[in-house]
Amino acid sequence: MSQIPVTVLTGYLGAGKTTLLNRILSENHGKKYAVIVNEYGEEGIDGALIVGADEEVYEMNNGCICCTVRGDLIRVISGLMKRASTFDGILIETTGLADPAPVAQTFFADEDVASKTKLDSVVAVVDAKHLLLSLKNAKEAENQIAFADVILLNKADLVGAGDLAHIESSIRNINRYAKIIRTTRCNAPLDKILGLGSFDLNEILKRDPDFLKGEEEPHHHECGEHCCCGHHHHEHDCESRHDSSISSVSLISSNPLDPAKFEQWIMDLRAKKGPDLLRYKGILDLMGSDNRLVIQGVHMMMDGTNRLPWNEGERRASRLVFIGRNLDEKALREDFARCAA
Amino acid sequence: MISAAYNQWNFNLPVLSLCVNRNGDFVAATLGDGTARVLPASDEAVTPKVVAMHDGISLSLQPDADDHAFLSGGDDGKVLILDPVLGETNVIAEVKNTWIDHVAASVDGKYRAFNAGKNIHVLNEEGQEVFDPGLSVSGTPGAVSFSPNGKRLAVSHYNGVTLWWVGAKKPEAETLEWKGAHLGLVWTPDGQTLLSGMQEGALHGWQLADKKEMRMEGYASKIRSMGFTARGKYLATSGAEQVICWPFSGGGPWGKQPLMLGGAEGRLVSCVAPHPKDEMVAAGYNDGMIILAPLDGRMEVMINPPEGSPINGLVWNATGDALFASSESGRVLLFTIGSVKSALVHAG
Repeated sequence: MSQIPVTVLTGYLGAGKTTLLNRILSENHGKKYAVIVNEYGEEGIDGALIVGADEEVYEMNNGCICCTVRGDLIRVISGLMKRASTFDGILIETTGLADPAPVAQTFFADEDVASKTKLDSVVAVVDAKHLLLSLKNAKEAENQIAFADVILLNKADLVGAGDLAHIESSIRNINRYAKIIRTTRCNAPLDKILGLGSFDLNEILKRDPDFLKGEEEPHHHECGEHCCCGHHHHEHDCESRHDSSISSVSLISSNPLDPAKFEQWIMDLRAKKGPDLLRYKGILDLMGSDNRLVIQGVHMMMDGTNRLPWNEGERRASRLVFIGRNLDEKALREDFARCAA
Repeated sequence: MISAAYNQWNFNLPVLSLCVNRNGDFVAATLGDGTARVLPASDEAVTPKVVAMHDGISLSLQPDADDHAFLSGGDDGKVLILDPVLGETNVIAEVKNTWIDHVAASVDGKYRAFNAGKNIHVLNEEGQEVFDPGLSVSGTPGAVSFSPNGKRLAVSHYNGVTLWWVGAKKPEAETLEWKGAHLGLVWTPDGQTLLSGMQEGALHGWQLADKKEMRMEGYASKIRSMGFTARGKYLATSGAEQVICWPFSGGGPWGKQPLMLGGAEGRLVSCVAPHPKDEMVAAGYNDGMIILAPLDGRMEVMINPPEGSPINGLVWNATGDALFASSESGRVLLFTIGSVKSALVHAG
């Protein structure tokens, strides 16, 4: 049975999530969606199967904070999958204050949900006018950026071009790998939002074979050329970026990894730093295997069961990306280098 | 091997739930299109009755307080009684703008209960709400269940199980706390102990008189199905490669090893149905295999080969001579003692 793709929409109230939902549901793409919303009977969404969720977070394993799942999503998705009326995808709307981690973790941790659905992508809708302020004041805003595969920089028409570039660089400081789309009334092409397989590196590589390549040089702590220098917001913005404890680190190794060493390292890392690791994804070339191992994780939960053969003539390498809080880039690089066979 | 089924029906729609009424003479299966199919719980050759149930799907199907009927709650916020002879439904309650997760009826026939979100409704024989204002719990319920004597109502939820005496003038909630998400509930036949299956593949139990707790772990998945064997000797559970049976005779399960029946690597027990009279458990697996496993150490017998789709329902009729099984893919199978015996003889 094929797994139904799930798209998670995050963003603050007023950023434009409902506008986006309505666009997705009303555009003529021949696809049917089930929508899981926060509040049943929400206004302005019609023409689709709408079910309510109540953001009930379960801590699993006796209260481990980073093994949380969304109990309501388990129930609602299990119910949806039993229906005879089929649909092509599920959209989950979360409130601006909801933590995206339990949502994403539900797709790893619950056997029923994991067997019948797959997380396609996390789409954050942000209000260009208010993003910088939100980032400064709220951990939730940072989390949403950190977790996103696609970021709609909405209401872009209300902000000047220079400011937009600056906002984008602030986003990049947190999440170097998300796709940023500037929109007005969420007018992004839907094929850039839905059915991306963003959480699935195999899909990403199909679309963009160079994804994760290069960019080995860290630039996210610099106040460099494509940043805010010379701009009138310079001072307080540079300050805000350095306040942010979230960053991205990309690790690349052209030598095959020792499977035992890598497994031990990633296990220890998750155990020690799990709460700080917001998202990580990687493709690994393990010594003695003709298959590449694709891993993805959120906090302590990791899925590393996906093995596919390397493509003919493909340059074998291991690439691993972390988006997290207080990442010690130097230590990560050194430890990862030690995993080489 | 070929299946030892006496008869089978393919509904080509997901089977959501399979249930036998309290009289044990009718079986109902709810399907993904919102209907139910009703069959006599015997080898009578009849076409299943098709009954329209809910707008959306049935989320919970249970034996009704009326021993001959079924109780269902669904997507449309309705609670209804299904009469298997007439093939008709009767809506007894409706909550607007929500859905009904769980329904239950007491064995003594006096009460029915259901939940809509965190609100619990209890109805008396006349269909009137027993408590005003109604009852509620702190998290969305995983199950609603009456004690065997019908005097207590238990509701499982996140971080515990809450109990009420349904005959009390003023309902007083008593919550048994244990961290984690509590799902299905089962009572020992004497009503003295209540157990819940948990999200993280464990069982937690409370002996109600002294609140002595028990914890059983080591399951590979959630425990979706559990039931007591004849005379309450063992609690048979799904969720592992073997049928795990916890001993409840002679002082309870503390410090004892469970009986482990059947099983093979790579498949998990998805459903169990202890025989109503004999010391035997029927078990279905997540790959479609079904076995009959005696509790006395004799070898188990495979009555259905692993055909792919997980078994999600198993029920015996009242006399214990017919076993019905359902698969997620939409099949309902009937095994009779006769069909099983002849298949065994045939297999040598």
